[in-house]
Amino acid sequence: MIELRQICKTFGKLCAVTDLDLCVPKGEIFGLLGHNGAGKSTAIGMMLGQVWPTRGEIRICGHDVTRDRQKALQSVGAIFESPVFYDYFSGWRNLEILCHYSAPTPKARIAEVIEWVGLSGREKHKVRTYSHGMRARLALAQALLPKPELLILDEPSDGLDPEGIHEMRETILRLHRELGLTILLSSHLLNEVEQLCTRIAVMNKGKKVFEGKVSEAKQSKNWVRLRVGDFAEAVKCLRELKMVEEAREGQFITLSEGVTNDQIVKKVVEQGMPLFEIVGVEQTLEDFYLSLMKGSR
Amino acid sequence: MMFYLQLRNELLKLFGKKRTYIGFGTFLIAQNAMLLAFHFSNWERGVSRLLEGNGYLTANYISALSVALIMLFPQILFLMPLYACLVGGDMVAKEAEDGTLRMILSRPISRVRLLFIKWCAGIIFSILLVVVLGGMALLFARMWFPWKGMFVFIPEPERVFNVMSAAQGLKIYSLSHLFLGINAATMTTLAFMFSCFNMKPAAATVLGFSVLLLNLVMENIPFLQDYREYMLLYHFRAWVTVYGQPIPWSRILESLSILGAVNVTFFIIGCTVFQLRDIKS
Repeated sequence: MIELRQICKTFGKLCAVTDLDLCVPKGEIFGLLGHNGAGKSTAIGMMLGQVWPTRGEIRICGHDVTRDRQKALQSVGAIFESPVFYDYFSGWRNLEILCHYSAPTPKARIAEVIEWVGLSGREKHKVRTYSHGMRARLALAQALLPKPELLILDEPSDGLDPEGIHEMRETILRLHRELGLTILLSSHLLNEVEQLCTRIAVMNKGKKVFEGKVSEAKQSKNWVRLRVGDFAEAVKCLRELKMVEEAREGQFITLSEGVTNDQIVKKVVEQGMPLFEIVGVEQTLEDFYLSLMKGSR
Repeated sequence: MMFYLQLRNELLKLFGKKRTYIGFGTFLIAQNAMLLAFHFSNWERGVSRLLEGNGYLTANYISALSVALIMLFPQILFLMPLYACLVGGDMVAKEAEDGTLRMILSRPISRVRLLFIKWCAGIIFSILLVVVLGGMALLFARMWFPWKGMFVFIPEPERVFNVMSAAQGLKIYSLSHLFLGINAATMTTLAFMFSCFNMKPAAATVLGFSVLLLNLVMENIPFLQDYREYMLLYHFRAWVTVYGQPIPWSRILESLSILGAVNVTFFIIGCTVFQLRDIKS
């Protein structure tokens, strides 16, 4: 559905995106991660033909966005962080205005989408009276109006309260499950990405530093919980033997390549230290993300 | 069909904003203030001298049509450019500033089409502004003055003096508003062009208004008199020449063609800039 090949974007001397390759297959919920200014929104802007790439090729649904933007965006819905509407109009009128930029849309379809996002009863009220959560739902409604196959969500939970974030997460899952949409999700909320996405790409300083399955990311480092009498002493000893790479929080270590838990147990016991527990742990996406950012700094 | 729907939406957006009505409201206040001034001053004395010096009976020409035309001048010189630029400067830049432009441009609509629709809405607004301005001037003037013949006196540089019957006056008054509509459309297009650049709506309005003001200043510099015909304001004044006898159609057509070309040029420049720029939040 989305193919980015060797995309570069510069703003004057600033290189916002460098040699970005990305491929989002049909039916996937794909997460785009990165801190502020990492280049996520610029990449999304380029996918939607709002920002022109300096170099490279972007294909959406098989069409080149820079050359054939209208065809490329025919089946695309998008939401941006802090969605903005014409406050002086009702939700219904806003949807009518926005859908007329795509294709003639029957009133029944607008009503159906309003029902789907749970705005029924408030659609005739002015948008200026809407809460942040309602605006987010209205944004989702406008994205769903043209019956898209691909949804691009740029920070969809931005500014929502915990209940709103949960609701948005459930809606995204429902969209994927019931309508079979392909979803590209850009977010700061690692927990949200972990729960929603099957694959992720991480960007840092305009470059892609990781792309793969969420499960791969969580297992990319072999973290082990080691509970011994003197953790610092044990780590020092294991480091001298080049069996351990990293240690943190007084109980977690990462093993060097080829080293097994049995070998660690043997060495610790040989050193005469009391050993209480050794067990492999899966790292969270947050751990992975932070270590990735630390590594690419 | 889609064009009609999109244009209707643009007009809804334009007339849904309160600031769009500032111009209409100000015209209303200004015209009534001027009428009060006419009512309580001795302005007729100077007019009588002028008319009777030329052999016309004053009582036949102090009329709603004559007063409406006199009232138009200050409004056309100061208020109309301001409100045309205010709306033109807002059309693209305000949407870009608010973020709604990003929402629109995530839809499969080309930027050129979007701009064309917005420009058409701006042109409709300009024409409506002029129609309301002229209509209100005549309506309010009629409330205070009788429906009689019309006299026109426009000093240098156009130098027009004419008297006509009420029927003929109304016809010429309406015709002049057609040309005024083109002037207003050009002013709106000028600000609209600046609005397509990456700038704040207020900056686009100020720039548009400044260009018009600069034209006015340059036109009045004595050693630039030979270049008057290159100034926008010279062509804007085509509307007053319709009150002349005979009507200088060649001059009017020349000015209209130039204003038409200026409008197209402004639109193409705006379009090119808008097509090339990145739309970011």
